[in-house]
Amino acid sequence: MLSIPMPTIIQPRDERTQPARIVAGYPQTPLRNPRQPLVKRSPTLSELSGPLEAARRVKLLGGDIAGHGDKQAIGQLIHLKVRVLDEDGAPVGGTLVEMWQANAAGRYLHPNDDDHAPPDPNFYGAARLVTDESGRCELRTVKPGAYPVPTRDGWWRPPHVHFSLFGKVWLSRLVTQMYFPGEPLNGQDRILNAVPDTAARESLVARYLPPTGDPHDALVFEHQIVLRGRAATPVQP
Amino acid sequence: MMIPTGEATIGPFFPPRYVDQGANDLTMFDGRKAKGEAIWIRGRVVQEDGAALENLIVEIWQPDADGIFRHPADPRHARADPDFLGWGRAATDDKGGYVFRTIMPGAPEGRAPHINFMLMFSGLMRILKTTLYFEHGMDVVLLAVPASRRELLMAKKQGPGSYRFDIRLRGENETPFFGD
Ligand SMILES: [Fe+2]
Repeated sequence: MLSIPMPTIIQPRDERTQPARIVAGYPQTPLRNPRQPLVKRSPTLSELSGPLEAARRVKLLGGDIAGHGDKQAIGQLIHLKVRVLDEDGAPVGGTLVEMWQANAAGRYLHPNDDDHAPPDPNFYGAARLVTDESGRCELRTVKPGAYPVPTRDGWWRPPHVHFSLFGKVWLSRLVTQMYFPGEPLNGQDRILNAVPDTAARESLVARYLPPTGDPHDALVFEHQIVLRGRAATPVQP
Repeated sequence: MMIPTGEATIGPFFPPRYVDQGANDLTMFDGRKAKGEAIWIRGRVVQEDGAALENLIVEIWQPDADGIFRHPADPRHARADPDFLGWGRAATDDKGGYVFRTIMPGAPEGRAPHINFMLMFSGLMRILKTTLYFEHGMDVVLLAVPASRRELLMAKKQGPGSYRFDIRLRGENETPFFGD
């Protein structure tokens, strides 16, 4: 835990960098999102503090979820190098990261998923770990498959990885999704394309790192996640 | 300045094992009992057509019984209850119901006693944030809410140590949500 705190400042985000709440072709969104205007408030200590030790309340699962030997999951083995920063670009270390994804066939091990594709007995698809001091964490997994959405109107989710992160304060809590570069389905995904700003949308796509031989058996992707908040500038007396 | 990463829906496949056994019980931490009055908070989450929402994720954040946050931003945090984390997570059941066991929060400086709520669900592209209160009072966040809607943020006392806080995402008597 931080000993001498630098208070966190949270400022409103540029709405164009965030997804629309109601999305054409995503039928649940008009039923569940507020009709009334959202209430504007100035954050107080209550919102500018938050759980720093959530990792002590939950069971960590580690970042290696691809399995080994004859228990290795089916699919393209990948390493995902994730870096978590704040709006100053400063690393957010010691924060809980929860990740989940479909298997290589596009199937989740979840009662909500139907049987459009087979489960993989060697793949549960969930990693839960804490970032190191430089805000990094590394995942060893398989590349998720695309899957059709039950709207049955041609909407397929492109390969993606879900992330849930905490950060330093309540208002830095983030639930997001990461995409893979060069996927033909990225251009028509209703969730990715709900973010109007092009640069913000592109920042949701991981970067592919050309193979160097290390690791020899996995493709490597790098992804940066920026949580809300920056340190208050100390005021000189 | 870096641009904060775009939010996305939590989707329908949040792993059930991420709603850890006991994560909705804030009265115990590391096997030790938090100080203060233990209370139940129960509620039901519905969407515009009144349908109950199952598997919606609810998280809360609050100060301890003395109104102190377990966070260095609180000038009093060195005196925070060591046995109270202040964070919990629950998932709604097939009737849209959630339950937390927690400690009646004290009043933080300049605020009335309250509990911060976050809702995450399939079809919610952004986290929805609201705040539970126990009674009307002077509170900058509550006063930011139009007067006619403040009552919707009041938990209803059901009995000793038992409160109800229903949440309607959209429609008549829609719960006020904060846009920050
Ligand atoms: Fe997904």
